[in-house]
Amino acid sequence: MARPSRFTARVDVVIFVACTLLSLVAMGLPANLREPVAGTLRRTLVAPLIRLQLGAERWRAAYLASERVELRRDTLALAAARVPTLETENDRLRKLLGLGAKIQWGFIPAEALQGRGRAEDFTVTLSAGSKAGVADRSLVVAPEGVVGVVQTVDPTMSLAILFAHPDFRVSAMSADGSAFGIVQPHVTTSSTTQEPAFLRSERYLLEMRGVPFRATMKPGAIVYSSGLGGIYPKGIPVGVVLAEIRTAEAWARTYLLRPAVNPSELTSVMILTPQRAAAGLINVWADVGAIDSATKSIVAAGDSLARQSATREAAARRAAIDSAARLYADSLHRDSLSRGDSVARAAGTLPPDSVARARARRDSIAAARIRRQRRDSIAAARADTLRRDTTPGVRP
Amino acid sequence: MNWGATVRTILLCAILILLHYTLRPLLAWRASPDFLIIALLVASVRVRPGIAAMFGFIIGLASDSLALGAFGAGALAMTLIGFGWSRLKAVFFADHVLLNGFFLFLGKWAYEVVMHLVVRRMHGAELLMQILVWSSLSAAVTAVAGVLALMALRPVLETRGT
Repeated sequence: MARPSRFTARVDVVIFVACTLLSLVAMGLPANLREPVAGTLRRTLVAPLIRLQLGAERWRAAYLASERVELRRDTLALAAARVPTLETENDRLRKLLGLGAKIQWGFIPAEALQGRGRAEDFTVTLSAGSKAGVADRSLVVAPEGVVGVVQTVDPTMSLAILFAHPDFRVSAMSADGSAFGIVQPHVTTSSTTQEPAFLRSERYLLEMRGVPFRATMKPGAIVYSSGLGGIYPKGIPVGVVLAEIRTAEAWARTYLLRPAVNPSELTSVMILTPQRAAAGLINVWADVGAIDSATKSIVAAGDSLARQSATREAAARRAAIDSAARLYADSLHRDSLSRGDSVARAAGTLPPDSVARARARRDSIAAARIRRQRRDSIAAARADTLRRDTTPGVRP
Repeated sequence: MNWGATVRTILLCAILILLHYTLRPLLAWRASPDFLIIALLVASVRVRPGIAAMFGFIIGLASDSLALGAFGAGALAMTLIGFGWSRLKAVFFADHVLLNGFFLFLGKWAYEVVMHLVVRRMHGAELLMQILVWSSLSAAVTAVAGVLALMALRPVLETRGT
């Protein structure tokens, strides 16, 4: 038993040495000889394994490609979802830039951060504070109009109440200055958070109270700040008239207004310094007022033209009726005359052709009478003139 | 080793070789498990040293055929590892899972060292970093994968000489 075991051990060593030598020979092969050996191995023994490896790598490539495609699709979807927001923000910033160019000085641009740590819906946190020059009771505006008033100022931030805050009041007027009143939040009866969405949205509406009864405003009319309150300068859009609402006040009208600024789109605002507010802002939003008043004047001019043409038409109609009546009266008169002639003719006092002759005579007598009267009046006027000229020291 | 055990060993080695060419490209880790080394260990502890050396030579040469720069180096390393494992199984209790893991780690690390030294693509600190970090990591991953595979296939495996 010892001999075969020793023999197999020797065989193992021989095989091992042979394999090692072959490996060393393979390592030492020149490139032109190495490639045919490797190629033969690749084409025979390793070929199925290479195919397996290729398949696995294709699977991996497909998996990675699908992952990339999915990632790209998600990125595109995300980008597409952000496009409307970016467009809105871009539009707002452009408007804000335009407003800044119009205001020219005395404003602090700030970001409006809504719902950050405050339970109240009607306040907004502004990203500028006293370090940037914000003062208490500074006016906050947006390109669309009034936003609110700063109430608390910290060094780096400030808190402002929105126009929907119960304490908000602004003296306002219509674009043509015919109606004045006080704008305040439209407070609904229910204000719980469980109320329907349309009621919650109504909480952001405004109402213009105390408008004189003789002054009426149509839906769509723009309401501006009148500058009478002291805080808000004249000419900032406050809202648009939606409808007149019935109240207990019988001596004044109350109008429901849609705010000029949509609070949900409030991202960037401008805080006006008190000096700027005191200097007035009439020319900033004036184009809107000018357009409104121009529209109204065009409508009024159209109305007056229509009124004039109607008057002219009525006068023409009246003249036509008068002339028709005169003609009718003349014809009646002529008919009676001819009837008298015919009676005379029937009685035999006048021959048929003498009627015409008599009419011609009557006409010539009348014409001669008119000519005489005109001659007399001319002569009288001339004599009058001569007398005035000859009378000394007497002035007409 | 009877015929049943031989067939099971051949099937197991075939599966491990297939995994080397299918699962490894799918994982594509920098330090991925080497299923050829695991297959060599599984075979080496069940066959004679000469057969183990030949098996190592064949699979080493097959893998070298895809890497022309190191043609023969893999075969040499696999031959050494296969013969060494088959000889060492008589000294150590080779059916122990943790010992198998340790041998796998040593074998893979030795394979990597031989390959890097023979190919001589890297020098100095880069070679040192490769041998100490990436080769060690690859050896550890191979050892873990091998231990898991051996534990999963323990019921169907049977070592020679028990």
